[in-house]
Amino acid sequence: MRFSRKMLAVPYIIFLVCFVVLPLLVLFYYAFTGSDGYFTINNLLDFFTDPNTTGTLVYSMMIALMVTIVCLAIAYPLALVLSFADIPRKGALVMVFVMPMWINFTLRVTALKEILTFFEGNLAYHPLFNTVIGMTYDFLPFMILPLYNSISRMDRSLLEAASDLGSSKLHAFMKVTLPLSVPGIIAGISMVFLPAMTNYVVLDMLYNSTYIMGSLIGSYFSAYDWHNGSMIALVLLVIICIFTLLSEGGEDNTRGGALL
Amino acid sequence: MRKTVNRKKITGFYRVLGIIMPIIFLSLILLASFPALDMNGMQASAEDNVVVLRICNWEEYIDEGDWDEEEVIDLESGDIFSESSMVEDFEQWYYEETGIRVSVEYSCFGSNEELYNMLTLGTQFDLVCPSDYMIMKLMAEDELLPYSDDFFDAGNEDNYYINGVSPYIRQVFEENEIGGEPWSKYAAGYMWGVTGILYNPEYVSAEDASTWAIINNDKYSRQITIKDNVRDSLFAAIGAINSDILLSDSFRSDENYSEKLATIMNDVSEGTIAKAQDYLQDTQDNVYSFESDSGKADMVTGKVVANYQWSGDGVYAMDQAEEEGLYLEYAVPEECTNLWFDGWVMLKDGIGEDEQKQAAAEAFVNFLSMPENVVRNMYYIGYTSVIAGGDDDTVFEYLDWCYGAEEDEEDVMDYPVGYFFSGDEDDEDYVITASSDQCNRQLFAQYPTNDVIERSAIMEYFDQEANARINQMWINVRCYNIKDMGIVAWGVFILCLVGVLALLIKARKLN
Repeated sequence: MRFSRKMLAVPYIIFLVCFVVLPLLVLFYYAFTGSDGYFTINNLLDFFTDPNTTGTLVYSMMIALMVTIVCLAIAYPLALVLSFADIPRKGALVMVFVMPMWINFTLRVTALKEILTFFEGNLAYHPLFNTVIGMTYDFLPFMILPLYNSISRMDRSLLEAASDLGSSKLHAFMKVTLPLSVPGIIAGISMVFLPAMTNYVVLDMLYNSTYIMGSLIGSYFSAYDWHNGSMIALVLLVIICIFTLLSEGGEDNTRGGALL
Repeated sequence: MRKTVNRKKITGFYRVLGIIMPIIFLSLILLASFPALDMNGMQASAEDNVVVLRICNWEEYIDEGDWDEEEVIDLESGDIFSESSMVEDFEQWYYEETGIRVSVEYSCFGSNEELYNMLTLGTQFDLVCPSDYMIMKLMAEDELLPYSDDFFDAGNEDNYYINGVSPYIRQVFEENEIGGEPWSKYAAGYMWGVTGILYNPEYVSAEDASTWAIINNDKYSRQITIKDNVRDSLFAAIGAINSDILLSDSFRSDENYSEKLATIMNDVSEGTIAKAQDYLQDTQDNVYSFESDSGKADMVTGKVVANYQWSGDGVYAMDQAEEEGLYLEYAVPEECTNLWFDGWVMLKDGIGEDEQKQAAAEAFVNFLSMPENVVRNMYYIGYTSVIAGGDDDTVFEYLDWCYGAEEDEEDVMDYPVGYFFSGDEDDEDYVITASSDQCNRQLFAQYPTNDVIERSAIMEYFDQEANARINQMWINVRCYNIKDMGIVAWGVFILCLVGVLALLIKARKLN
């Protein structure tokens, strides 16, 4: 057997086949069969004709959008400050913002529940607000890191040039910094928006009783209806694929990944 | 030249790495996918006569042995304590009794549906502990192996189950049939209870808590939690909708009361489901949340004042609350309550023709039914065992140990539990003298009074069509319906979506 460097990928390929490709095939099988085992596209039609499923899709997207916007609004200024500020040991400071992620997720949300109860009195009156806060809390570091990376790697001489040519600070920001940070923004969005659409644990723990995509899929499986459940999972997968394809090339968060 | 040498060295390194890593990886996968290869399995292959018993039970539903050192139940007939887990004790006991080594592979499930899905996917178990309706479903689908005749031989003292099971529970298991065969043939009871309302008497009156309508009572708006599963919620809704009939004297005194009650509570016709859906949709706006596990803690911390709860978890929550100095109470709605069971069933798929395995499985059920083990389990998990003990009074003694009044206590009552222990509700041997407030606390939740038992109904399993209807109802209640979306919401949504897409496309151009 001749050895080539490609063979280093063998472990990963085995992993990929066992835990990604095979389950995906099973998913396909169930999505396109009925309870009698024959091929059908009824599940797909059900998805788009059932007002509950489409409603849940819209509801999940709305939550994900709100979370993404809030995360962006908080993370962008912070990333700007972090990358331009003249602070020694900046890496350690960035770590501080990532630190919450080292604590167990359920523990964090439980703590948040108590904090929110302290402020609101009764959580049940603001389920949507709580959900957005909870997810923002959960996903914020995923937004900060790619933004920080893309802004701090920007060539500073571009800003100097802009200022030499008589551009105001705001103008320079709009024309130089913002466009150059777009890859970071895209990376941040895709790391926040997509998980936020399905993370039902936060909803459960913060008492939002409306289903989002993740919980809807689960409810079909606990009702022994694997076919419709698989179809919903598959459609979600396709939507995510479209988003990822559109943002292809925008993602550039390799250094962020190292930090996590 | 130097470079070439280095290169050779590196390729050599890669070659070794490239061979070793897949081997390690493959063996890891093999290890993970064949549980038989783990520690127990290795012992099994070393000794041929080891019986492997695969048991799947609810989480935290058996004594796991991690008691504090000084924890002991000091009954008159002797101390009961636990040094190791029930499963380990069984392995040792079985070896001492029969000389056969048994190795238990113990795993857990979180819901009946999860267990059913595991079984459908081909996971093999020998002995599992699902709830009543899942036992019925598995029976109807011919998945279960009947218990052997020896198991029911009351003449054999080692048959702790048949000699110890409560006459009341035994009767229920014999009267209920699936496909012409009684449950008792296929299932041995483990724990049982009713459903009701756990409430904080400081804020909720006993009267308000004693009806299913409390879940929609706006006096407790956003201060009550109900169960996050369709069967329990549906039961409460049907109870609340039919409240007037169920409480009427004429219905109560009907000679076929029990059957009629069961018919009403198991009515899943389209009309009833539609009404239940409306009711639950209103309820959703009234409750604090649909919970699957958080309800107990939320009662103790005071986030909610009432909680739809199974009796066993009710006991657990009341115990927890008492440690914090808070006294909670438990009420069973006047309309009706859901009598439920969890029971041990043997699977055809797992045991097959293996007689040794079946003997071990039946021995496990008998072991759990030994009075001191019953007490250990009850003490550990808070639920009520179906075992009364027969001639052995250990279980009753334990009850007295838990709830019996102190000698100098003044405010006491006599609490009869004869229906459970001897089948005779007036049996004077089985009366506990307990402090008066126990009539709506732990004692009541653990062993409900006879009138509660009389107004109890078992919730059947439903056929596929009815099941689909119920689940659709639940989805309708829980999902955001797109038809409810206003024009403004649509506008905002589309605007946001277009914004995101535009950003993505712009980013593509930039690169």
